[in-house]
Amino acid sequence: MLLTIARHSVLIGLAVMFALPLLFMLLQSVMPLTQAKTTALWPEHLEWSNYTRVFDRIPLGTYIVNTLKVCALTVTGTVLSCVPVAYAFSHLQWRGRKAVFVLVLSTMMLPFQVLFVSQYQIFSELGWLNTILPLTVPTFFGDAFSIFLLRQFFLTLPAETLDAARVDGASEFSVLTRVVVPMARPGIMAVAVFQFLFSWGDFFGPNIYLSDERSLTLAVGLVRLNTAVERLGESNLTMAASVVFVLPLLVIFFFAQKVFIEGVTLTGSKG
Amino acid sequence: MLAPWIIGFCVFTLYPIVNSLYWSFTVKRYGTAARWIGLKNYELLLSNDDLGKALRNTVYLAIVGMPIRIGIAMLCAALLARPRRGNGVYRTLFYVPSIVPAVASGALFYFLLKKGGPVSSLFDLFGAEAPLWFADPAWAKPALIMVGTWALGDLMLIFLAGLVDIPRSLYEAADLDGAGRWAKFRHVTLPMISPVTFFTVLTGLIGVLQSFDQAFVFSQGVRRGRLTGEPEGSLLTYAMLQLRHFQDGRIGFAAAMAWVMFVITFVITIAMLATRRRWVHTASGDLA
Repeated sequence: MLLTIARHSVLIGLAVMFALPLLFMLLQSVMPLTQAKTTALWPEHLEWSNYTRVFDRIPLGTYIVNTLKVCALTVTGTVLSCVPVAYAFSHLQWRGRKAVFVLVLSTMMLPFQVLFVSQYQIFSELGWLNTILPLTVPTFFGDAFSIFLLRQFFLTLPAETLDAARVDGASEFSVLTRVVVPMARPGIMAVAVFQFLFSWGDFFGPNIYLSDERSLTLAVGLVRLNTAVERLGESNLTMAASVVFVLPLLVIFFFAQKVFIEGVTLTGSKG
Repeated sequence: MLAPWIIGFCVFTLYPIVNSLYWSFTVKRYGTAARWIGLKNYELLLSNDDLGKALRNTVYLAIVGMPIRIGIAMLCAALLARPRRGNGVYRTLFYVPSIVPAVASGALFYFLLKKGGPVSSLFDLFGAEAPLWFADPAWAKPALIMVGTWALGDLMLIFLAGLVDIPRSLYEAADLDGAGRWAKFRHVTLPMISPVTFFTVLTGLIGVLQSFDQAFVFSQGVRRGRLTGEPEGSLLTYAMLQLRHFQDGRIGFAAAMAWVMFVITFVITIAMLATRRRWVHTASGDLA
């Protein structure tokens, strides 16, 4: 009994610690400006106009559209390119498969820093700066993490089912699209959701390639806003923009909780 | 099936690797040809004070921050490992912060901790004086550790999966031997989840080395533009310094910094994998 109480107090304490920052974010986002500049914790009235004011202050609508474009293209690119590669690494037999797979895995160890100093020159010569192309085009050629994750998932599919389809005369392509893809839907969903989450929140890449006000994504716009309003004490606007930034992810999470949890577990289970 | 990956690998990975490795031995600016200077960039790097500062910050985050993060993640997982009513709600609550993008949690904690923010108000309520998180070099890194710890959901889920996989029979056997709670944790749980812990320490170390977003947001808030003076110097990470050199047009030097980053990552990975047997309990053998 005592233990149950102790356990629950620890759990409740932790829950408060995890939830409180988000609660303060919400409260500050509807805090009237006069109060936002003070140490007040609770808004005296709910200033919903903060949300319209932040759209006036920065082109938040444009940022949302830009971010959605990046997300849509990167998710499409990642799924289209990584599914066939993961299939080749899991259910096709070919010479050198193991060696090439090690090569894929070893690129995961490569810091992005090694690549972007040179990629930047390629993209700038192509005239792609201030466009979403440097962020989206590479995803159409596959990335090591997603390939690895999908391969782990594909390996759990029974080889007999695939062989049965092959015996029936199905080509490898139709084995992939008609048998593997439907069976591996949870794994593909996990990869898609992770890519969406990454692209939505990514700051480093967009910060390098985008500088024009109109070309920014939400992440870069938020950081700029945070820096700009610091002196004016308008943290209520930063927090309103943060809510706009974070809320879609929370909604996705609540609808796709199972996908998240299984996906994360899969990334950690086999190093 | 492999064609797109092979093209992408050559254009976006292999070519940049070769290129940046070459540039790291040169003076390079975009728009001008690279001029070979041998190991100069690397020599300069080793004698650079800012680099020392960034590496010291990194070591601090690894030695102080990582055990806190892993410890609390393990605690959360342990509290939720056995199926009980209400676990799902707690798990969701604990996990949610980790889907908040790093720049958003950076902006959020900047607001929470800054002078006059909610945390200092809470300190006032108890009549205590809040630390000046960002103005005081001693408190800047604890602030960073705090955001990182807040977003430990992924770690918790990984530990949770590891804990659920431990066969109940091991605990029953320990019960028969009269083992207490602590003994069971020490001699059953810890060894059995050591492969998971190993994995999280390895990825955690690499993550610390590459950490950027939250430290960048914090230091931008403190003072725009500057990076290495105090107090923002206490937030300086290696990736921030590398980006600064890149943005200032010292491409060769930035490339050298990137390769040093790779070498450190590589050495950590190899060293940990080579000593894996000392850290990780393998399935066979005794439990003590």
